[in-house]
Amino acid sequence: MRALLRAAAIGGFAAAVLIVFLGAGAQQPAGQSSGGGRGRGMSGPPQPTPRLADGTVNLGRVSGEKGVWNVPYITNMGERIVEEDGKTYAEKHPPNFGRRGGAPGTPGQPLGGGEGTAGGAGRGGAKAEPQVPFQPWAAAVYNYNSSNNSKYDPEGYCLPPGGPRLMATPYPMEIIQLPEQKRIVMIFEGATHIWREIYMDGRAHPQGDDLNPTYLGHSVGRWEGDTLVVDVVGFNEQTWMDYFGHPHTDMLHVVERFSRPNKGTLAYEATYDDPGAYTKPFTVRWTIPWNATGELTEYICQENNKYLQRLTDDFGQPIFGKKP
Amino acid sequence: MKAKIAAFSAVVGLVLATSGLRAHHSFAAEFDASKPVTLKGVVTKIEWANPHTYFYMDVTDPDGKVINWGMEMGSPNGLMRQGWTRNTLHIGDEVTVEGSQAKDGAHVGNARVVTLASTGKRLFAASSQTDTPQQQR
Repeated sequence: MRALLRAAAIGGFAAAVLIVFLGAGAQQPAGQSSGGGRGRGMSGPPQPTPRLADGTVNLGRVSGEKGVWNVPYITNMGERIVEEDGKTYAEKHPPNFGRRGGAPGTPGQPLGGGEGTAGGAGRGGAKAEPQVPFQPWAAAVYNYNSSNNSKYDPEGYCLPPGGPRLMATPYPMEIIQLPEQKRIVMIFEGATHIWREIYMDGRAHPQGDDLNPTYLGHSVGRWEGDTLVVDVVGFNEQTWMDYFGHPHTDMLHVVERFSRPNKGTLAYEATYDDPGAYTKPFTVRWTIPWNATGELTEYICQENNKYLQRLTDDFGQPIFGKKP
Repeated sequence: MKAKIAAFSAVVGLVLATSGLRAHHSFAAEFDASKPVTLKGVVTKIEWANPHTYFYMDVTDPDGKVINWGMEMGSPNGLMRQGWTRNTLHIGDEVTVEGSQAKDGAHVGNARVVTLASTGKRLFAASSQTDTPQQQR
């Protein structure tokens, strides 16, 4: 018995150390480790960036190998905005599972509090995020979404994320380059099992009514050296920028930059320019780890979404489920 | 040796618990993380489905009354990455569930860990819960 107790104590301590270690090492532990298959990520020293036969950076698999990008779960884009000092909140405050419940701004504290934490701090709303250039109405919408714990998040209804949230919603994704066809296809296991197409043939965005607002928008891409730059317009207003509920309008213009500094890392950066909701553009960034043994599996969110049946409005009435 | 194994599994368990989390909908809107529950009962029904697998269990309360609870877990893809299969749970299995109850007091919960009485194995349920006081041992 004593041995067991001692073992439990050692185990607990080791676990705490490991968790602190994982928390410090990973941007978002919640989304990374178990992403694609039960396999491992990259270990050992960084391997060189893989390239296609023509020398272009290969953002996907190497022939004969497996692998997927383990998309992290990022709940608040405010934590990922590059601030005046050139760093993001997340880079300055790496998650630390050993120190929950402290004041916002201390290591390990999610921006604006967070949820389900021991401290039960709740969220801080727009005033906790001076780095987000909210217009007043956008701040009010954000505060509303914060105060009800994002219960109206469209992703909860199994609708897709739009824009950079695609790269912040579990599960894994793959990038498939088709240079002969002058396009790149990205396929997402999560985010309601969707795909997006990036035209690499030099075309412009459709103009006027030919640009039909959609969840994922219209994407055209080009290579700037080793960086894939994707310009996206034509978003509808049915998505939130993130789980925390930063709003956007159909005036949103996103420029994404994808690069692969080594085989195990996808560096992702996106600039949001939405003059309908924010007073100036802002840039977010994070990295996405390669899971060298992962493969995509099936995830059809719409199958049995009981959340909808239980969801009630602000007056306690069911929104989709049976009325009492 | 036993001690070493116990320590090892505690570490592995906690690492899994912090790494396999998935969210589909707002956890905080539906469940109350500040009120963790532990329920013991018998599985009556299993829905191995997206975006959340549900199973139902009969729980006998202290007065002897049997209440059927619905427990939410992760989706099949998430659960399989944590070692589950569609045949991990069977109707009639005796289980202990650690999780959180619905905010509205309904007999619905979000399962974080499921322990099978027959094997004693703790299975992590790919919960959408981000973190609870229980996890900070």
